[in-house]
Amino acid sequence: MSIQSELKTRFGDAVIETYLQKDGKPGLVVKPEALLEICNFLHDSGFDHLSLISGTDYVERMEVVYHIWSYTRKENIVLKVKLDRDNPVVDSVTAVWRGANWMERETYDLVGIRFKGHPDLRRILLPDPWDGHPLRRDYDMSVDQYVYIDENGKDVVTQDASKILREEALDGKN
Amino acid sequence: MARTEEYQLNVGPVHPSTHGVLRFLLTMEGETIKDVEMIIGQLHRGIEKIAESRSYLQFIPYTDRLDYISGMTNNYGFTKAVEDLAGITVPKKAEYLRVFVMELNRIVNHLVCIGSLLLDLGAATMIIYGFRERHKILELFESLSGARMTFNYIRPGGVRGDIPEGFIDKAKAFLRDMPKRLDDYAQLINENEIVLMRMKGIGMLSPEDAINYGVTGPMLRGSGVSYDIRKDDPYSVYEELDFKACTRPECDTYARYIVRMDEMYESLYIAEQALDRIEHLGGPVKAHFPRIFTPPEGEVYSRIEAPKGELGFYIVSDGSTRPYRVKIRSPPFCSLQALPQMVEGLKIPDLVATFGIVDIALGDVDR
Repeated sequence: MSIQSELKTRFGDAVIETYLQKDGKPGLVVKPEALLEICNFLHDSGFDHLSLISGTDYVERMEVVYHIWSYTRKENIVLKVKLDRDNPVVDSVTAVWRGANWMERETYDLVGIRFKGHPDLRRILLPDPWDGHPLRRDYDMSVDQYVYIDENGKDVVTQDASKILREEALDGKN
Repeated sequence: MARTEEYQLNVGPVHPSTHGVLRFLLTMEGETIKDVEMIIGQLHRGIEKIAESRSYLQFIPYTDRLDYISGMTNNYGFTKAVEDLAGITVPKKAEYLRVFVMELNRIVNHLVCIGSLLLDLGAATMIIYGFRERHKILELFESLSGARMTFNYIRPGGVRGDIPEGFIDKAKAFLRDMPKRLDDYAQLINENEIVLMRMKGIGMLSPEDAINYGVTGPMLRGSGVSYDIRKDDPYSVYEELDFKACTRPECDTYARYIVRMDEMYESLYIAEQALDRIEHLGGPVKAHFPRIFTPPEGEVYSRIEAPKGELGFYIVSDGSTRPYRVKIRSPPFCSLQALPQMVEGLKIPDLVATFGIVDIALGDVDR
């Protein structure tokens, strides 16, 4: 039995729908509250490699996609959860795969999805005080944000370019 | 015995042995490392965001700038995802050309990795030799694509152009000389006492931990897991070629180094077979690819065995000329997470050795 139908019979209502990706990888849309349980089951049945966590903003909803591979069974499975855009929260899977740690931090940083139970959910690529999540569809690309380090060694984000440029440079520009 | 207090030590972001703009925040007890925090993002250029406003073809040059040491494999990673999405078939000759350049790119990557690792360990010779061989490969690449690092050579449907005149001979001469050179380098390094002392038994990572952390590529094979996407989830024409996945069971830094050395021989062997087919195959090197390309709606995740590990591209298409979302799985971003566990209880020079063999390019980590 394929892992897709195995999950469907085992978790029943928690699986909303099954689909195939364009490249033929089997996928399941699952309820967010059942995600952790399903991931635990997958890990125990040999799906030991978490390839990728990616978050996508679809304007009316958020999606988090998990691409998982089994070294022993040589099979792919894709899990997807659909989240409410105003409050995108899903359980963290760091307890199942430790490699999920940075991937979840990155998804939080760039897409703004929060992972419940994550040990250290901070921004990873952008500085902490950054305003907004760039990979969201409504992120304002016309606003420039500048980063500098203040006297305490902390990152500071500002929209005022004069804070980071020396006065001569500004004079030369005008 | 003298008691010491825990303290924090900063390394980087522009320290030579951090290979780019990576910053370590070490928690030390005396001279022993208790914990490592890595602060990344200084090279973040928002490539995934840029992808949303470029057409599929326009995005390929950006992939060159991810892992800037192995641009060819990045080109192919994205190209393969687009081809999977739209179901494009590629002429055989183009596939062999792709395999040929990708395997040479793997050699470039491993030479740079080993060279800079040994430079960090205080042996300046290998990086000069490594760059000499790299230069020869880059000359071949230059004659194919016109560029030395940002190739933009592999494109959906095939490659940029056919091989130029005299290319086969030049490539053959290189493939003939290179094994001898590799033997020399192996003789220079493999049994060197300092190398052994610095790398044997350092940076241990058990196979279970490696898998759990999502470590891939030579790092994983150095922990005794015989896993190579070219073998286990084959793509392109790798099924038709003869090669083996190089594995070592020791789980330490030295094992990862040896895996890389062995892989260079394997890559040469693959490149030789590919070159033979290129020479005898005729026909086009590029399938038709429409100038205004609108792939069908849908999602695709495709992964390849890049020199540094599993490189994946997740593309969401909404049927328009631009991808709705591109997400890049960069191998060193995932492999780096295992570093704190690997260096716990070691000294700072061991951190340099262990980190050097993780083989990162910050362009790939920060994207």
